[in-house]
Amino acid sequence: MNPPSPTAVAEAPPETPPRRRPIRLPRDRHAIVDSFFRFQSLFGLVAVFVIAIAVSPVRNGENVFLSSGNLANIVRAVSEIGIIAVGMTFVILIGGIDLSVGAVLGLAAVGSATLMVDSGMGVLPTVLIVLFIGAAFGATQGAIVARLGIQSFIVTLAGLQAARGIARMWSGGLGIPIAYGDGPQEAPESFSVLSGSINGILPVPALLFLAIGVGALLVLRSTAFARHVYAIGGNEKAARLSGVPVRRVRVTVFAIAGLLAALAGIIHAGQLNQGSPNDGAGYELDAIAAVVIGGTSLAGGSGSMGGTIAGALLLGILNNILALNNIDANVQLVVKGLVIVAAAALQKLRPRIA
Amino acid sequence: MTERPLVRMTGIGKRFGGVHACRDIDLTVRAGEVHALLGENGAGKSTLINILSGVITEYDGAIEVEGRPVSFAGPAGAQRAGIATIHQELDLVAGLSIAENMFLGREPRTRVGTVDIRRMRRQATDHLRTLGADLDPRRLVGSLRVGEQQLVEIGRALSLNARVLIMDEPTAALADAEVERLFATIAELRRAGVGIVYISHRMAEIEVVADRVTVLRNGSVAGSVDPKAASRDDIIQLMVGRSVDALFGEGRNEPGDVLLDVRELAVTPRRPTPGRTEPAGVDLSVRAGEIVGLAGLMGAGRTELLETLFGAGGSGRRAGRVTIDGHPYRPHGPRTALARGVAFVPEDRRGAGLMLEHSVTDNVVLSALSSLTTLGLVRRQAVKRTVAGQLRALAVKAASPTVATATLSGGNQQKVVFAKQLLTRPRLLLLDEPTRGVDIGAKAEIYRLLHQLADTGMAILLASSELPELLSLCDRVVVLHRGRTVAALPRASATPQAILAAANGDDAKEAR
Repeated sequence: MNPPSPTAVAEAPPETPPRRRPIRLPRDRHAIVDSFFRFQSLFGLVAVFVIAIAVSPVRNGENVFLSSGNLANIVRAVSEIGIIAVGMTFVILIGGIDLSVGAVLGLAAVGSATLMVDSGMGVLPTVLIVLFIGAAFGATQGAIVARLGIQSFIVTLAGLQAARGIARMWSGGLGIPIAYGDGPQEAPESFSVLSGSINGILPVPALLFLAIGVGALLVLRSTAFARHVYAIGGNEKAARLSGVPVRRVRVTVFAIAGLLAALAGIIHAGQLNQGSPNDGAGYELDAIAAVVIGGTSLAGGSGSMGGTIAGALLLGILNNILALNNIDANVQLVVKGLVIVAAAALQKLRPRIA
Repeated sequence: MTERPLVRMTGIGKRFGGVHACRDIDLTVRAGEVHALLGENGAGKSTLINILSGVITEYDGAIEVEGRPVSFAGPAGAQRAGIATIHQELDLVAGLSIAENMFLGREPRTRVGTVDIRRMRRQATDHLRTLGADLDPRRLVGSLRVGEQQLVEIGRALSLNARVLIMDEPTAALADAEVERLFATIAELRRAGVGIVYISHRMAEIEVVADRVTVLRNGSVAGSVDPKAASRDDIIQLMVGRSVDALFGEGRNEPGDVLLDVRELAVTPRRPTPGRTEPAGVDLSVRAGEIVGLAGLMGAGRTELLETLFGAGGSGRRAGRVTIDGHPYRPHGPRTALARGVAFVPEDRRGAGLMLEHSVTDNVVLSALSSLTTLGLVRRQAVKRTVAGQLRALAVKAASPTVATATLSGGNQQKVVFAKQLLTRPRLLLLDEPTRGVDIGAKAEIYRLLHQLADTGMAILLASSELPELLSLCDRVVVLHRGRTVAALPRASATPQAILAAANGDDAKEAR
């Protein structure tokens, strides 16, 4: 439930030298049941993966789903939502929600294209500026939530509109194509690395998702900041009375969400070779779906980063296998909806550890 | 037995897993009697009550209501049979009016099917009058004080024609004056022939209100006594199965230097909140090693004073002078307070003290994380050691430090709050009703702990609505009335009469 604490199983054995108060293990059945729910999205991911292999079309004796090209496609397609979902996990853990991330992605995509193509800036300054814009946008929302005590749903709903508006003003309402080269109105060639792969296998965006996912996982497991995040989601008043810097943590969390949304926007621009102000519409909902499938409670205070990563991959595989079998895109939406409800229902069944 | 009892429970048993929560319990409730149910936390009171009120539907044994065997399919069934429960946490909707709350889900209708508001209000008024309460049924429940909300809840039970009323710690959240009123109401109900099952931890109340006392221990009936005949010690011994000699500690210690000094403290809130009494002229001091009590009626501003001293009060302009060790002290928030060695155990354990769904470990270390981290990373081994040591020191009973705090009993939860605050190594400990909802065994342990802490030189400021607690525990008692200090009584002259008189404003120069 609260991942920073080790599981009961890891807790027990050897290193309790003073055997005065032996720590009782939860009965085995409970431990098994609990770890099933704890890692539900991982089990779900494995299940969906196995099903995907089974129902995948076979071409020339090769399982299409398992082909390296297809798997690369999946992780590439998942990476933007996945990176956003990592930020969203922090926000949801403190009991908030961030609806602005899709719009911030669009703003960042436009920003990347404009800065490089129109302003002739290099890749590094562009990336830094865009990331800063995303983080600042998020931090501003966080500050409004923390200072004025308005629900994050409303603040980020307003932020969504504002970010979209700014992106449209900045781009003149049109997508800005990115051409590569050294001339004016051309972006540096190195930016196109985002649409490439490493050794022709691992797409660069997927690598970034992996790095950020693992980083966030470690942060949530081991830092005092993470304890504060969980504490605020668990009981904000108790956290405040315990000396947790609630406002600061809140602003930081929304800044992280904005920063990661901007990063996803940069990747988006790099993959599509353009920045359009309408990019990323609805991504916030996919990101929330990934977090929910990952078993994080929308009430805050409990959940894990591993779950979110698994949830994002699960959604990606689902989309992929349905597409491989030529199933109508609208049916895909319905299936996605069912999976989200099923994941949430499973969490309801989770027994309270006694 | 002259008449048939309203309720007869025979051989009631209930097991959760391998644990007997109740074992072969007999309980009868007669018309017009108050039957008190006593027992430490975990003795089986809640389980028994949940069976009687239809919350638990699978159990051993039989229940008869007015001679007819019944088995309830759920709480609604029990209600239809005339058994109503007033829970500790009241089941009212704050945003609806008194009348709407009373008839929630069964609103009277007019001929065209709309809600008959006038009839609803009239009936609500009638029921409240029966209880001796003169409340406007149009008022929002959220604007009522806890005692008044309780009356609404009792009124609702009456409107359901309840013959048996289960009251679970009805006085836990009430000030003394409101308790008086509740007892008057109970007398009315008793005259009307309602049978009452009364659960409380407070011995003094039981003596006043109960006709019979049944004591539960470890899921069985430990004994049934007549409270008029049995002494308090007898009853306590039945509850804990051993005699509690030093329940209330003896006075000790000679205090050291003045640690906290408060002069003319007043807070003018930026936006006044109804129901809050900000400090309006508080003078007090606490020496190192001294336990100072804070007395006053509900709404006297005890909680608000403690919150202000902890930097957790509402925002507003502050006047007066507060010093710690002679240095000015003006906390901007709990963080600065903790940094200055001030810790706070809030009144509302569940709402403000704990993250109930989180592990005991997570709760205990939360305030002292900075001393357990290197470069922002939590040192797991250090956390484990610290928590284990702290749990041992306070004798917290938990299956393991990783279980959810919600699974602990009230007393042990409170000890977790203490463990958390004490880990910050405070020099001044602010306590708001530290033994509320805590059973007598845990209470005694908390008292012992406070004495030990004071002996190490800690200054303790303790707000409590239980006079015996203040009288036996504190070196001095400061009495608040409407946000100002009206008396500071040394132990020798702190009698219940003196405290109550001051708390009621009898000594106040201008009783506005």
